[in-house]
Amino acid sequence: MGDLISVLTDNLDEWLAGFWVTLRIVLVAFAIAMVVGTLVAALRIAPNQWLQRLGGIYVETFRNVPLLVLLFIAFAGLRRAGADIGPWEAGITSLGLYTAAYVAEALRSGVFSVSKGQIEAALSLGYTYPQTLRRVVFPQAFRTVISPLGSLIIAMIKNSAIIGVSLLALDDLLKTARTIGSRGFEYSEAFFWAAVGYLTLTGLATLAVRLLEKRYAIRR
Amino acid sequence: MNYLFNPDNWEWVITGNNLRFILEGFAVNLEIAVIAMVLSLISGLALALLRLAPWAPVSFVAGAWIDIWRNLPLIFIILYLALTIPGAWPDAYEDAIPSWFPEGLQSGRVLAAILGLVLYNSAVLAEIMRAGIQSLDRGQNEAARALGMTYGQSMRHVVLPQGLRRMVPATVSQLITLNKDTTLVSIVAIQEVMRHGRILTGTNFFGGDVPVPILQVFLLIGALFIIVNLALSRLSRRLEVRERKRTAAVKPVRDLAEQAA
Repeated sequence: MGDLISVLTDNLDEWLAGFWVTLRIVLVAFAIAMVVGTLVAALRIAPNQWLQRLGGIYVETFRNVPLLVLLFIAFAGLRRAGADIGPWEAGITSLGLYTAAYVAEALRSGVFSVSKGQIEAALSLGYTYPQTLRRVVFPQAFRTVISPLGSLIIAMIKNSAIIGVSLLALDDLLKTARTIGSRGFEYSEAFFWAAVGYLTLTGLATLAVRLLEKRYAIRR
Repeated sequence: MNYLFNPDNWEWVITGNNLRFILEGFAVNLEIAVIAMVLSLISGLALALLRLAPWAPVSFVAGAWIDIWRNLPLIFIILYLALTIPGAWPDAYEDAIPSWFPEGLQSGRVLAAILGLVLYNSAVLAEIMRAGIQSLDRGQNEAARALGMTYGQSMRHVVLPQGLRRMVPATVSQLITLNKDTTLVSIVAIQEVMRHGRILTGTNFFGGDVPVPILQVFLLIGALFIIVNLALSRLSRRLEVRERKRTAAVKPVRDLAEQAA
């Protein structure tokens, strides 16, 4: 038991740094995923068939490729191709673009939850297509996408661990646990604290989603 | 761009044994995926039933178990098991594994990988199945019980067939995720497709004189996953349509109108 505590307190700075790296990866990658995901969702519901197809290809590609393969393409592959890309950039873009495909699908099904009659009504009132999306569809769709987006953030917290132990070697929470564990063969203790870190993050995300759901629930 | 479209680079990928080496690695991924899928589906169903058990302590313990494993990163679980599993376990696995098993699965390290995949995915699948079972109208179970069925009979003949069928799309997308996640076992040094890709491009991985086409190799590996996963989702969609046709006792009137028109 003494070991367990000392593994945490002796390396507190490293633990906090690792936790912070994980948190930063998740936040930045989620921002990327939201921006790209919204664009792709807009493509998928665009009134042009070719744009729809383009969005569909994006989703099917990024949803079906393992994140680890994306990381190898983004880092080792692009470096070989001559691009000057660092581990941090490769990590957040891979995770962001990967999750963007799921975000796009969540947003699209949210948009389809708004009845077609409302869109037609808005268009016939003289709104342009982008105006209709912004003023009528998105505010309502937002409510229905809170919970799928919440599960995507949780998935993202978990997927961020792949970045650290793959070839990119960013010192995130899992990498920190591995480093600290290897120092004194205290893997069980080190991984226990990493688990606490990850469960804290996923637990907080779950709570936040539940609060948001309650806040924006339609009262009937 | 030159690098990407240079035909020499693509030719390198398929020359000699390179392509075969990658495909051999990919086969190991598929083997691990199939084993993990079967085990996860079985234990996932068991966990879901335990969580829904009418006895509070059992359902609490099962719920805690599920929530812990499904909220931890899979790669964390695999790495942890690989580092801390008692050395006797992989040895026992190597002894127990029949020799006709694929070569890629003979190594004892596979045990940690499969165990990790199953621990994580069974927890996720259990939640999916529970949601399916709970989405079913309570009256279904009550009616079955009122007809004199036991709890087990009502589950087996009434609740599960309907509840699980509803969750086929969610289950399939989780199985696709599982299929992708088999690449993660490469960090515990199992000779699957990512390892093979790295070995193939291993000389001067981060630059050097011999320009091995790393990008092309991993684009090819990505394409392999796209093909298999798309096939998987197509298959499930076809099954779904067939099931709906088979189980629909009363054909919707809409169909008749379409036939008439």
